[in-house]
Amino acid sequence: MSIFARIRRIPFWSWFWFILGALYFLLPLYATVNFSLRMERDVIGFKAYVRAFEDPEFLETFLYSNFLALMTIVASIILIVPTAYWIRLRLPEARRIVEFITLLPFVVPAIILVFGLIRIYSSPFKIPLTDITILQPLTTFEVGTDILIVAGYMVLGLPYMYRSVDTGMRTVDVRTLTEAAQSLGASWFTIITRVILPNIRAALLSGALLTFAIVVGEVTLASFLGVPAFGPYLFLLGQHRAYEPAALSFASFLLTWAAMGLIQLFTGDQQVSGAH
Amino acid sequence: MSYLSISRVTKQFGDTVVVDDFNLDVEKGEFVSFLGPSGCGKTTTLRMVAGFEIPTSGKILLDGADITDKAPNQRNVGMIFQSYALFPNMTVAQNIGFGLRVRKEPENMVKQRVEEMVSLINLEKHANKYPYQLSGGQQQRVSLARALAIHPQVLLLDEPLSALDAKIRISLRAEIRAIQKKLGITAIFVTHDQEEALSISDRIVVMNTGVMEQVGTPFEIYNFPKTRFVANFVGSLNTADAEVVDPAKGLVSMDGVQFESAEGTEGRKKGDKVKIAIRPERLSFASEQKKANVVDATIENITFLGSVVRIQVKIGNTKFNMDTFNNPFLELPGLGSKEQVTCSKEAVLVLDE
Amino acid sequence: MAQTALNPKAPTPALDWKKWIGVTPFFLFAILFLVLPSMRLIVGSFTNSDGQFTFANIFQLFQEQAILDAYWLSIRISAATAIGGGIFGFLLAYSVTVGGLPKPLRSALITFSGVASNFAGVPLAFAFIATLGRTGFVTALIKNLFGVNLYQQTDFDLYSFWGLSLTYMYFQFPLMVLIMAPALDGLKREWREAAENLGASTGQYWLRVAFPVLLPSILGSMILLFGNAFGAYATAYALTGGRLGIITIQIGAQIRGDVLHNPGLGYAMAMGMVVVMTISLIGYSWLQKKSERWLR
Repeated sequence: MSIFARIRRIPFWSWFWFILGALYFLLPLYATVNFSLRMERDVIGFKAYVRAFEDPEFLETFLYSNFLALMTIVASIILIVPTAYWIRLRLPEARRIVEFITLLPFVVPAIILVFGLIRIYSSPFKIPLTDITILQPLTTFEVGTDILIVAGYMVLGLPYMYRSVDTGMRTVDVRTLTEAAQSLGASWFTIITRVILPNIRAALLSGALLTFAIVVGEVTLASFLGVPAFGPYLFLLGQHRAYEPAALSFASFLLTWAAMGLIQLFTGDQQVSGAH
Repeated sequence: MSYLSISRVTKQFGDTVVVDDFNLDVEKGEFVSFLGPSGCGKTTTLRMVAGFEIPTSGKILLDGADITDKAPNQRNVGMIFQSYALFPNMTVAQNIGFGLRVRKEPENMVKQRVEEMVSLINLEKHANKYPYQLSGGQQQRVSLARALAIHPQVLLLDEPLSALDAKIRISLRAEIRAIQKKLGITAIFVTHDQEEALSISDRIVVMNTGVMEQVGTPFEIYNFPKTRFVANFVGSLNTADAEVVDPAKGLVSMDGVQFESAEGTEGRKKGDKVKIAIRPERLSFASEQKKANVVDATIENITFLGSVVRIQVKIGNTKFNMDTFNNPFLELPGLGSKEQVTCSKEAVLVLDE
Repeated sequence: MAQTALNPKAPTPALDWKKWIGVTPFFLFAILFLVLPSMRLIVGSFTNSDGQFTFANIFQLFQEQAILDAYWLSIRISAATAIGGGIFGFLLAYSVTVGGLPKPLRSALITFSGVASNFAGVPLAFAFIATLGRTGFVTALIKNLFGVNLYQQTDFDLYSFWGLSLTYMYFQFPLMVLIMAPALDGLKREWREAAENLGASTGQYWLRVAFPVLLPSILGSMILLFGNAFGAYATAYALTGGRLGIITIQIGAQIRGDVLHNPGLGYAMAMGMVVVMTISLIGYSWLQKKSERWLR
């Protein structure tokens, strides 16, 4: 390689784009932090954070959102893991249709999903062709609404959770693992709890964290279904306060960062992305 | 002056010397193989000829011109990769024409050359297919045609057969050799497969840890390995510790069993520790007329390998493999029986400890 | 026996349907919370206020200027951020993969992209208000450095087309980075070497090999970005408070109260979105399939 070639190897444009990207990333964060620290005139301090965290409504809504996230994650795992496992093991012919379904949430954005959910579940469930009600409208009582919103979140997280679990199962080759365990005389319970689940732990964790990141600050479903979650709380706070919302925005950025950082830790360089 | 001359070439990556003082002259039209285990520097040497690596020191001359520092795209050498490296977005014909098109050759000339090449590799029916529609063997043939299309001065093949099935490997190997002979093109072929190197080459360079161990024809390399590494790496070999008994007569002793060797004891003294090496196919059961090197042996094991039957015998305290051609009327001794085995003086190689 | 002989296609039905029991909960869930709600919207689009079948809602969709404007604005914003975010994201992914930047920068960028592509909604809107709002950090910076007041001397407004586009870019180009980095890794070193070996310059390699190989992937990702922006609601709502009439905000208003005074038209509007999203998903998977064939 000539000296000219070596000089050309210094990647000027690469640095240029990278620095531009870094600025795009960091400037809004810096601006947010900067703003959030200036609640008191001429003083840099954490007053906005103290105020925001002291608000009892913050704790209430934040805990409630965490509760929804936890429910969503548990329900998703209970629903998706056996399905993906069964398809790998016994029903490969269902793969296409199930994968198609897991792609549907891309076609039905949150706003459309909540539209449909409200229209379906705000009227009572009747036995077809009769007037006998078997279920009150879900939107009219608290547990019903919780069920509805968790189901909605499960739909939003479905593509990510399913892909994560399915990839995990493919990389460890659950079919061979199962057959090996069976040939050694293991029961189904043993196979699932001691062979399959430990082997897809990283996949489950990354699916769970991604779901968490989607659910905890979610606004669309939460506000239309009228639940007291963190997303709508933050939105309303922004209508009549200036500094506290900035503080909470930065805090939730850190929370997203923590979730994504953990995923990175567990899965390496794999793709992580959520829906908006 | 030879056609391709690699002289005193050394390559270092950091502190690691990957190729150490490599010297080779290749004649026009010659087919030379670089043979060695992975990490022996054979691929690095090839890549220096292609221009993908620059030697730390030394010179590479091609047809009298110094190409040591030339950029790869200025060299006019054709390279074939283990992974085929066909461009996935182009058809077979487009792949083959690529080199000519980037040289801005007139389109009708490109078309004609592509047709010529497609028929050379017998893929006329597949000219408009994409690489992913072809088998591995077909893809590698396209890669060969693509490299040849630019009339390269040297053809470089970097383990071109390693990714293929055993059967295709053998047929494509013959095809590559036939095409190379037909075009009279100079070729360097890198492989870790000794059978491949032996069957295809005019000459073989055996390499180990960046050093050339031996250069010679396949016949020389197999029958007269100069170093223990070459003897071990090429073909299978029985080796045993021994001691020089009489350097003048070529007598060595292994656990008290004496062997006579035709060469290798020159310059050694009585009592020197050496290794003796005998190829399995050179050992046989002793016949009526007794010759040199008849020793007692116990039959330990018999393995049927198809065309060859491998008999494990114990001579002294050492186990030797002995290969004999299979035939339906072969009478094999029973396990544990005592037999006499023999080999010629020339078959006993004496190597350094 | 005779029956089996006459009808060789008859499988062992008992075994066959039992296998499907294992996936029943999943299908049940999908039907209840995904298929039924979507069907409701589709059925609603073709129903008039008396509950009879009609195409009137669909026709009306194309006659209401306000709705067409909303779609058009959404499409423009989505296309702008898909193309802009796509190009910028590609260049960034290029710089950390084959662009020759040090390895640690790559993992930093990938992690950051994972965070940023998931950082949307209210917090993102607030972050951009703090950055480019009237009293935002960058607004002030530009004023101090160049003496230009963005809000008085230029047309710029964070609560407009360009403002929302810049905000969307924050999650758009990181998504592109996440998709393109593996695709760029898929470019084999041997392709570059083979091209060079055959006499091609770096430019010729990019023009004739690398770029065509990546093109399906780039276009597919841009379509994905388009859909990503097209379906976004929370960010826009939190940023503009409903002032910028993109289609998701119009649908939101329709859910809150029947602002169109025709529920069927509201359903049709929602279905129109699903149609656009479906077309983009089909385009994406078609291109993705093409790209996988090449980059395997």
